[in-house]
Amino acid sequence: MKSKLIIAGLILAATVSYLVYAGVSQGWVYYLEVDAYLAKPEYRGQTVRLCGRVGAQGLVRDAAGLTARFNLLGKTHEIPVVYHGVVPDMFKPGCEVVVEGKQDKAGVFQSTMMLTKCASKYETEDHAKRLGQRP
Amino acid sequence: MMIDVGNFALAGAMLVAAASALAAVHGAVNGVPAAVRLARWLLGGFLALISLSSAALIDALVHSNFQVAYVANYTERALPVGYKIAAFWAGQSGSLLLWAWLLGVVSTLAAVLWRRRQDAAYPWALATLAAVCAFFGALMLFAANPFVLSVRPVADGQGLNPLLQNSGMIAHPPVLFAGYAAFTVPFAALIGALMTGQKDDEWVQPVRRWVLAAWLLLGVGILLGANWAYTELGWGGYWAWDPVENASLLPWLTATGLIHSLVVQRRSGIFRGWNAGLIAGTFLLCIFGTYLTRSGVIQSVHAFEASSIGTFFLVFLGCGVLLSLGLIIWRRNLLKPAQPLDSLLSRDGAFLIANVLLTLIMVVTMVGTIFPIISRVMTSHPMEVKTNFYNTVVAPLAMVVVALMAVGPLLSGGRHAAADLRRRLMLPAAAAVAAVLVAVVAMAWREAWSVVTLAIVVLTVGAILQELIRGVRARMADSQENAATALLRLVDGNHRRYGAQMAHLGIAMLVAGVVGSSVFGQKHDLALTRGQEAEVAGLTFTLRDLNQTRHENYSAVEANLMVTQKDGRTAMLKPQVRYYDKFEQPASEVALDSTLRRDIYVTLAGWKDEGHSATFQVIVNPLVAWIWLGGLVVTLGGIFAMLPTLAVVPAVQPGGAGLDLAGNPQPSGGAAR
Repeated sequence: MKSKLIIAGLILAATVSYLVYAGVSQGWVYYLEVDAYLAKPEYRGQTVRLCGRVGAQGLVRDAAGLTARFNLLGKTHEIPVVYHGVVPDMFKPGCEVVVEGKQDKAGVFQSTMMLTKCASKYETEDHAKRLGQRP
Repeated sequence: MMIDVGNFALAGAMLVAAASALAAVHGAVNGVPAAVRLARWLLGGFLALISLSSAALIDALVHSNFQVAYVANYTERALPVGYKIAAFWAGQSGSLLLWAWLLGVVSTLAAVLWRRRQDAAYPWALATLAAVCAFFGALMLFAANPFVLSVRPVADGQGLNPLLQNSGMIAHPPVLFAGYAAFTVPFAALIGALMTGQKDDEWVQPVRRWVLAAWLLLGVGILLGANWAYTELGWGGYWAWDPVENASLLPWLTATGLIHSLVVQRRSGIFRGWNAGLIAGTFLLCIFGTYLTRSGVIQSVHAFEASSIGTFFLVFLGCGVLLSLGLIIWRRNLLKPAQPLDSLLSRDGAFLIANVLLTLIMVVTMVGTIFPIISRVMTSHPMEVKTNFYNTVVAPLAMVVVALMAVGPLLSGGRHAAADLRRRLMLPAAAAVAAVLVAVVAMAWREAWSVVTLAIVVLTVGAILQELIRGVRARMADSQENAATALLRLVDGNHRRYGAQMAHLGIAMLVAGVVGSSVFGQKHDLALTRGQEAEVAGLTFTLRDLNQTRHENYSAVEANLMVTQKDGRTAMLKPQVRYYDKFEQPASEVALDSTLRRDIYVTLAGWKDEGHSATFQVIVNPLVAWIWLGGLVVTLGGIFAMLPTLAVVPAVQPGGAGLDLAGNPQPSGGAAR
C-alpha cells in the first residue's frame, strides 16, 4: 500500500509540476512602472502590464465610451496610451490604473485591458485625503 | 457622547478578552473551574462591549454624525438609510469591527454550547477564542479605530462609493466575515485537543458542524461577492482571479477537503495529522488572506495602500503558524493513524485524493496570487500571472476533483470497492457517454471543456438519481410504503448522506454554469440610433429612446432597449449611466435579462447627438443563472445535513446494510448489493 501511495504521489507531483510550468510559461507578464518600462528598450516588443497615473492633459474619451486616449504618468516620464474597450467607471484623471498591452511602432501603448485602482471598500486615509481634495 | 461610548467599549472589549484568555489559561494549568467559568463570562463581556461599540458606530452612521471621520468618509446626508447602515463595512476599520463582532458572537456561542462538556480541552479552546478576540480588539484600538474624529468640521460627508451602492454589497461582507470568524472555533478546538493530548477522536464530532457552517457561510459570501461583481462592475464576468477574490477562495478550498476528511477521522481514526494541519491551515489562511489584501503587499483592483494593520496581521499570523506547527510536531505521536488506509480505490482513498488535489489547488492559487512577491525576490523584475495561468493550472485539477465528486459516493468502504464501483457506475456512465455522443455528433460541440463538463455533470446527476431510486425501491419493497412516503422517509432518515448528495448536485450545477458561460459567452458592441433595429447573436435589439431620471442621491441617463428573441418573446432592458452627486465620474448600471438558458447583459457605453444614437456592449452569457442556483442548492444541502431528523422514521434494516459517509447505518444500502 505504501509503495502504491508513493507512486500515486509521484504521478500527481509530476502532473501538477507540468501544469504549473505550462501555466507560468504562457501566463505571466512583467508588471512595471512607467519609468522602468521606458528605461529599457528590451520591453518594447513584449506585452506588459504598466502601472501609472492618468494624466489630465490630452485625455480624450470617445463619446461612444469604447476608447480612451491619455498619457500614463510615471514619476519622471510619461507614455501615450490608447485603450480599446468599455472604460471602467472609476477611470478619471489622477486615478491610478494598470493597463496591459504593448507599444506600437509610433510609440503609442495599445491596450485592451485596464484595471482602475481607485475603487475600493478598503480605502485608507491616503485615499480619503485624495477624495477630500475635490473642489 | 456616543463616540466616547464606542471608544471606551472598544478598549474595554480588548481588556476583557485579554483577561478572559488569562483566566482560561489559569483555569487550565491549575485546574480551577471557577477561573474557567469567569473566562466564559468575560468572553460574553467581550461580545456585549463590542456590540455596544458597533451600536455606537451605527448610531453615528444613521444620524450622519460627521464628527466621526469614518462617517464623513463613507456616507452623505442624502444616502438611503439602508446604505447608511451598510456603510458600516464600507471601509477598513468598520469592516474589521464587523469581523470582531461576528467573532464575539461565534466565540460566545461556542463557549456556551460546549460548557457542559467537562473535558480538559475546554479551557484551552476558550483561551484560544479569547486570545483571537483580544487581538482584534487591539487591532482596532491601535491601528484601525473607526471612531477617529474628523480633522475639521464638514457640512456633508463624501458619500458612499457608487460601486458599493448595490444590494449585493450589503450582504456580501457580513456573510464572508461570518465564515472567516466561524473558522476560529474549529481552530480553538484543535488547540484544546492538542494541548491536552486527547487520544480519541471524540473532539472531532462537534467540530464538524462548525466547519460545515463556516464553509457554507464562506461559500455563500464568495458567491454573493461574485454576483456583486457580475451585476455591478459591467465587464460581464463574475470571477477575475483578483488577489482579493483568491484570498477568500484559499480557505474555502481547504475547508472543502476538511468537511470530507473529518468524517473519515471520526469513523476510522485516520487522517488525524492531515486534519489537524487543515484545521489550523484554514484558520490561518483566513488571516493570511486578510493580511494579503489589506497590507498593500499585493496590487489589486481593490485599492490597497500600505497601512500598519498589515504588520499586526503578519505578527499574528506568524504566532499562529508557530503555535500550530509546534503543537502538531509535539503531539505527532497522537496524530498517527489508528490503522493504515486500505486502498486508494475505496471511499477513504477517494477522500484522500480529493483532499490532496484541493490542497494543491489552494497552493497553486496562492503561488499565482503572491507571484509578484516571489518574482520580485527571485528576479529583478516584478511579474504578475494572467488569468490564463489559473485557467491552465487550476481548471484541469478542479475538473478532476469534480469527477471524483461524481464517482466518490459510488465507492464503498470494503474490499469489494472495485467490483461495486463497476456495477454502480454502469448506468450513469452509459448516460454520460450517450449525452456526449449527442452533443458532439448532433450539436457539433467542439470545445473539450464543455464536453468533459457535460460528461461529468450527467455522471453526477445520474449517480445521485440511481442511488435515490434504489433506496426508494428498497424501502417500498421492505415496508409497503408508497413512493412519496418512502422517498421522504429515506431522505429524512439520513440527513448527512442526502444533504451531501444535494450539495454535490449544486456543485455540478455551478460547474455547468461556470463552464457554459466561459466557453460559450459572446461579446458584441452595438451602435444604434433611435428607432433602429439590429441583430446580434440571434437577438434583435431596438433602441426606443434615452431619458433622464432623478433619484435620491444621483441622476441617471437610462436607455430603453427592446430585445426580441427568435420566438417573438420581448423584454425591455434599461441600462443606465448614473451621475452620483458626490462622485464626479459616472457609474454604469448593467441591465440584465436572465433565464435558465442564458443571460443578456447590456451596458450603456455612451451616446451622441443628445441621445439620438447610443452605443452598447451586449454580452450573451449562457447558463450563468445555474451558478447562483447551484450555490443555493449547495447551501440548502448543507443546511439539510445539519438539521436533525424531522420525523420519527420506522427503521428498515435489510440484510447487509452499508455505512454512509458519517458511519451511520444506511437503511437502503442493502438493496444495491
